[in-house]
Amino acid sequence: MEGIIEYLESIKFVHLFMSPTIIWQSLPLLWKGFQAAAALLIVGYLLSLPAGLTAAFMKMSRNPIVRIPATFYIDFIRGTPLLVQILVIYFGFPLLMPGWREFATGPIGQISVAGIDMSQFVRAIAALVINSGAYLAEIFRAGIQSISKGQLEAARSLGMTTMQAMTYVIIPQTVRRILPTMMSEFILLFKDTALFFAVGIFELTLQARTIQARTFNMSPYIGAAGFYLMLTLPLGRLVAYLEAKLAVSETGREPENRQERKRRKAARAKEASA
Amino acid sequence: MTEQAMVRIEDLHKSFGALEVLKGVDLEVARGEVVVILGPSGSGKSTMLRCVNRLEEPTSGRIFIENDEVTDHKTNINHIRARVGMVFQSFNLFPHLTAKSNVMLALRKVKKISKEEAEQIALEGLARVGLDDKADVYPIMLSGGQQQRVAIARALAMDPHVMLFDEVTSALDPELVREVLDVMKGLAKGGMTMLVVTHEMGFARDVASRAVFMDEGVIQEQGTPEEVFDNPQNERTKDFLGHIR
Repeated sequence: MEGIIEYLESIKFVHLFMSPTIIWQSLPLLWKGFQAAAALLIVGYLLSLPAGLTAAFMKMSRNPIVRIPATFYIDFIRGTPLLVQILVIYFGFPLLMPGWREFATGPIGQISVAGIDMSQFVRAIAALVINSGAYLAEIFRAGIQSISKGQLEAARSLGMTTMQAMTYVIIPQTVRRILPTMMSEFILLFKDTALFFAVGIFELTLQARTIQARTFNMSPYIGAAGFYLMLTLPLGRLVAYLEAKLAVSETGREPENRQERKRRKAARAKEASA
Repeated sequence: MTEQAMVRIEDLHKSFGALEVLKGVDLEVARGEVVVILGPSGSGKSTMLRCVNRLEEPTSGRIFIENDEVTDHKTNINHIRARVGMVFQSFNLFPHLTAKSNVMLALRKVKKISKEEAEQIALEGLARVGLDDKADVYPIMLSGGQQQRVAIARALAMDPHVMLFDEVTSALDPELVREVLDVMKGLAKGGMTMLVVTHEMGFARDVASRAVFMDEGVIQEQGTPEEVFDNPQNERTKDFLGHIR
């Protein structure tokens, strides 16, 4: 084993870019960075969902006072680089918030969320939600508008309010249809957390960069790449699977599959009990 | 003053932009009456039907269901819709719900009926249209005729006082039309008040208490099916009937 590592390290390219020794030593810090990135991703994405849904409904409104700001927001965010948005929001947030200094230096601001100070975390989340909310809004809007008008009419003709029709008829169908796209946005957002290295948040990429700067070796980046792939590869496969399954359900064979699965499950349960 | 009308339409106008689709329609439907509305496409018959439960917003005119004015914006339209059943050409079953759940949804959410009771009503309703064995099946697994029967069961479950049928057999393969018409005949025999937009002349003859012929956004002629079909007075009616025979 040691012989193999020694041999690998003796190859210049391997040593500089994927040194097993350096990657191994980087793991604890990279793991911390991964946790920070994952925390940003999960909190950011979960808060983006209601933000995106709100913006989507606003953009579909017939009232221009509601529609125009939403349209402007969505176009502006989707048309500008996330890095610029992060810089504006991250450094603009404290200027806008009264009592920011007290908050940032106070006990709450110092709470650590997956290794990130709360005062940094809230700003990063604000940037992520504002960005991802705009993309999700377009995903939601396209999904809702792809549901046939007859569905809303049928629900309304039964006496449901618009809100009930949305909640029980339109949104469930929409979510089913856009789930793969929503998950793609989740994956994109995860990769986007790397940009927070620019404002000094110790997520995965900044951790790797710090070690790289100390060792003059690129291997920590490759180690970080491995951490990114740990999440993006399986999720990407899941998206492909969901897309295939959706294609089947839209052409009419999904319930059959489901029944088949149920039958198999029942048979297995029977076997187990026997 | 005779018995209060189930549906009363007074001088109904409806325009889509510059296009005036309804140009003053007056119609009264008594309790238990089955009124069949005929006419060429574009004559405004579906639009009129959709105005009755305000799926389309009338441009002017008034519509009453029993004592309530549908066109009065102070009326809670959802309360009215809950007792006006509607069946559509394209079925519009909720594809993410089983047949039973399709019927149960509005019972649970609009009428706030308990789950057990709603399930009971749904199963009875599906049995009434001959589909109790399909309760747990998703719409996509059903034939068009079966889907339409579930849609009828879904509307009936709300215990409506009047049913609106908007070309409900037009999207069906010919061999599936009868099973839907049979359900509707049964309903008519049971005394349900019905407004039926259709091209099914046989159905109109057998079941309708009145036939109404619409063209150019107005009612051109009305009477018993025999009067309208066998001895039409209006030139447009004659022309239309000549075409579809």
